[in-house]
Amino acid sequence: LRRCLISVDRSLIEKSIPEVKRVLQTKDTFRNVTILSTLENLKSIKPVDVCCVTSHLLTFYRDRVFKDHQETSLEVMRQISSIANSFLYMQKTLEQCQVHNQCQCSQEATNATRTILDNYDQLEASSAALKSLGELDIFLTWIDENHQETSTA
Amino acid sequence: LTGGVAVLPAPQNLTVLSINMKHLLMWNPVAQPREPVLYSVEYQGEYESLYMSHIWIPSSRCSPTNSLECDVTDDITATVPYNFRVRALLGSQTSAWSTLERPFNRNSTVLMAPRMEVTEHGLHLVVKLEDPGPQFEFLVVYWRREPGATEHVKVVKSRDTPVHIETMEPGAMYCVKAQAWVKAIGRHSTFSQTQCVEMQGEPL
Repeated sequence: LRRCLISVDRSLIEKSIPEVKRVLQTKDTFRNVTILSTLENLKSIKPVDVCCVTSHLLTFYRDRVFKDHQETSLEVMRQISSIANSFLYMQKTLEQCQVHNQCQCSQEATNATRTILDNYDQLEASSAALKSLGELDIFLTWIDENHQETSTA
Repeated sequence: LTGGVAVLPAPQNLTVLSINMKHLLMWNPVAQPREPVLYSVEYQGEYESLYMSHIWIPSSRCSPTNSLECDVTDDITATVPYNFRVRALLGSQTSAWSTLERPFNRNSTVLMAPRMEVTEHGLHLVVKLEDPGPQFEFLVVYWRREPGATEHVKVVKSRDTPVHIETMEPGAMYCVKAQAWVKAIGRHSTFSQTQCVEMQGEPL
């Protein structure tokens, strides 16, 4: 079964996300709480589950995070738009895989993303969105590592 | 006129000219006799138009501008459709927005065959390629000009030119052609013209 792989636009990792992280993490008042920390222990996610977890988390950002965040800085707004539209493109790529049945969801994968959503719901929406945007580098690094042709995750 | 008050007309005929991943939004001028008219450009990616349709983002270069075109390359950062709108500004007056007829997707950009210069330097083939930007890679194909020649391929990032291709045989003729490739849109250009160079020295 050929694995479902997406590639991450380098400008996202090298420009948009560091800029958003630099600005937003200064406004994050809940320093000892994380939303995506579980991605640290998602290392054990089997390659066959990577597509499903990626798809769920892209949907989480699309439907919750980008909507719950109110941004006043024009430059940060542009960077978030850049990220949101890149995620939309990645999702379209993943949808091709779902058509070819390469995006199965095991219980473990569903639980992993469920934990992230629960973390999100622990906080008030705008705070949770702010924190999730500040943790985008964790998510993108995880995608980059797990969506390589030779990755052994 | 509206209620006796002059209404500033909206700019017309918005179009996007896109070549080698450089995207230029253009429109017709709004004629005003006395004062110069300014224009303001805003954009919406597919995400905004689908999920946050009230959100329009001022273009990073043209809000406002006195030009009739706007380089929107830095605004278009994903391979999804983008909407654009432009309005005219004259003193305190603003026109209605004029919106691009069809959203623009950067995967429709025109990719030109790369400009290439091939020279010989101490039995090395040296291939110089123009650098259209960081999103470009090149496929450099070279072969020795002889019956049944084998083609060799080298993938080169735009920042890594000129390319020095390994040692050639003296007195032999080598030919080169190149093609541009943009991973972000999954497309390549046509091949450049083939260029051939004869290596110095006596054939072995």
